[in-house]
Amino acid sequence: MKTAAELSAPALRLAGLRKDFGRPAVDGLDLVVRRGEFYALLGPNGAGKTTTLRLVTGLLAPDAGSIEVLGIDLAGAPAAAKAKMAYLPDEPMLYGKLKPFEYLEFVAGLWGVRAEVAEPRARELLDWLDLGKHAHELTEGFSRGMKQKLALAGALVHDPELLILDEPLTGLDAAAARQVKDLLLAHVAKGGTVILTTHILEVAERLAQRIGIVRQGRLIAEGTLDELRALTQGGSLEDVFLQLTATP
Amino acid sequence: MSAAPGSVGWLLRHELRLAWFNASGAKDGAGRRRPGNAALALVLLGWAALHLLAWVTVEKLAGVAGDDLRILLAISAVLAGGATFMLSSAIKSSVLVMFERSDLDLLLSSPLSSHSIFTVRLAGVAAGTAAIYLFFLAPFAHAGLLQGQWRWLGIYPGVISVAVLCSCMAMLLTLGLVRVLGARRTRVVAQVIGALAGALLVIASQLQSLSSRQSQGRVQGLIEGLLGQDGVTDNPLLLPARAMLGEPLPMLLLAFVAGLVFVLSARRTHRFFARGLQLAASAPRSAPARGMPRRHRFGRSLFASVVVKEWRLIVRDPHLLSQVLLQLLFLLPLFFLIFQRSEVQVQALGAGLALLCGSLTGALAWIALSAEDAPDLLLVSPASLPTVRRAKLAAAIMPVLALVAVPLLWLIARMPAAGLIVWFIVCGAVLGAGLIVFWCGRPGVRSNFKGRGKGGIVMNMLELFNNLAWGALGWFLAGAARAPLSDAGAMAVAGSGVLALVVLWVAWLLRVKQR
Repeated sequence: MKTAAELSAPALRLAGLRKDFGRPAVDGLDLVVRRGEFYALLGPNGAGKTTTLRLVTGLLAPDAGSIEVLGIDLAGAPAAAKAKMAYLPDEPMLYGKLKPFEYLEFVAGLWGVRAEVAEPRARELLDWLDLGKHAHELTEGFSRGMKQKLALAGALVHDPELLILDEPLTGLDAAAARQVKDLLLAHVAKGGTVILTTHILEVAERLAQRIGIVRQGRLIAEGTLDELRALTQGGSLEDVFLQLTATP
Repeated sequence: MSAAPGSVGWLLRHELRLAWFNASGAKDGAGRRRPGNAALALVLLGWAALHLLAWVTVEKLAGVAGDDLRILLAISAVLAGGATFMLSSAIKSSVLVMFERSDLDLLLSSPLSSHSIFTVRLAGVAAGTAAIYLFFLAPFAHAGLLQGQWRWLGIYPGVISVAVLCSCMAMLLTLGLVRVLGARRTRVVAQVIGALAGALLVIASQLQSLSSRQSQGRVQGLIEGLLGQDGVTDNPLLLPARAMLGEPLPMLLLAFVAGLVFVLSARRTHRFFARGLQLAASAPRSAPARGMPRRHRFGRSLFASVVVKEWRLIVRDPHLLSQVLLQLLFLLPLFFLIFQRSEVQVQALGAGLALLCGSLTGALAWIALSAEDAPDLLLVSPASLPTVRRAKLAAAIMPVLALVAVPLLWLIARMPAAGLIVWFIVCGAVLGAGLIVFWCGRPGVRSNFKGRGKGGIVMNMLELFNNLAWGALGWFLAGAARAPLSDAGAMAVAGSGVLALVVLWVAWLLRVKQR
């Protein structure tokens, strides 16, 4: 049973988040992502995007600040917060010696999804991502795109409210990228929230409702594409991005 | 003078440099693989000590005649064993340099001919194969040279020639096997050959005690018969042994045969090599499913999901599985001793099973607990990490207990008291070994199974002491089931028990904090 605070809370709230690896990787980051939103987090290499996502997913512990996932404090109730989200890193977290169905079976076990929900969902996802005919092959023989799609299926098998993706389209061919994008849009259309980082600015431009730009671990600009254009001299997202992230 | 870039000599130097870097699994600060200075110093110190040993041995053997049939037979037997090990390691090296180093596309797209590339690869495998044997045997040649016993110099051409012959055979076998089995399974075959050679060697060393007096007499008669025959030392099968003993003609003949085989292998098979590579590259890495797809079981508990996943990963990795099981192969000769003359040696069985089960559990627990393929997946999930780790521990322990259940039940039925004691000992050894990895295991990768000891010396020492303590307990307690313990025996039981507990206590104190 969700509390009223949880229901009205944003999908993600970061306050004063800080992580230091000798030099600050995330430096007092404040960020709010609304429920049902497709949010793109952009930034140059080393800006702190991946570190931010790893903090949010609990893979790293912050030095300071707080993380709230759908109204649940990550530090206070990590299991409850993790149960509501899924993470897809740029390197898929797979087991080469498992077959796709077995992988999804294992992930469903980790998230405690009931069989009557998990099994049809796994079949649906594999069919949607065109992996059905490979469902009984070991994943070690899969191409990069197939692995990425299977990892995405794993992330979606427990139907998370918040889906966090780090460079999900890297190395995918056009058809696979389209399948992944369609799946993400469908997830948002159903009321889910998607946060993704990408270097392919066109993807952010076409998919994201709001875009945040980080540099040196800080949020330097945020808003819709039009709002970002208004901050600069306009043009494409690429122009806006280059203007905002240019060294002073 | 250095070889011109792009020449065969230049490529050979590159090949040898790569082999040198691979000589150690350690990485330097820049992440490059190369032996560290400390390791080098240790190796050089060991080599100097070997020279001392060799000096004394060569001095003592000065008067032994080189054409003595007994000496020739002994050297031939050692050479046959050594050649089997050489073949095994040469197949592994061939698989590595041909199919796993992933640099052949680069080399084959360069202006170098495939013939040159194959020749250099073959030479590199031969050099690597010979190197380890020369490390141990060359000190004897050096000592012989310094003492004026020239025949010891035969070690160099002897070892190099045998290594070249084994490498050529290994390369051809590898190219053939990879086409039929694939690169990974070929490595497993190489490993099995090596382990069988090792196990056979151990069994052969125990033949005296294993065989009956009648068989021993027959073998002795056969050797005496051979010794009595004229001209038996001229048998071509003894040629390598005579070459090793520095006889000039056999030495030259062996070197010529090895050179010829090398040239013919490189010349005649490089097309086969190129075709083999193409086939390996184009072959699907994973076989399509056969027959009807199996039904899947969603909705397992977290514990069961983890156990099933671990078992699947272990069973489906033949390379890893063979490494684990081959460890046990070396313990098999022990069982020959235990069951010799149809009489169960309960004491030896208790100790042997404790060692075997402890060692197997340690290996499986390392795979399940330390060598997790997707640790981040577990960390981002809401699953309770302690439950996951307990399930992994169970996944390591259960197969071992299942493996020994039948012999233990048989023993309990035959000798209830002794059987129950051995059962208790096995459970203790297994649980101890599992808990040590559970508490002290550090993350590793499955492909580094053989090198896992380097990453956790303390854990390995604890595992060793655990197995020894339970082995000793097994020996003394199982003996107590037949006859009362002496005072010394009681002390030994108490000491072993305390050691087993202290090991666990130390492991608990040193436990790695899990996130």
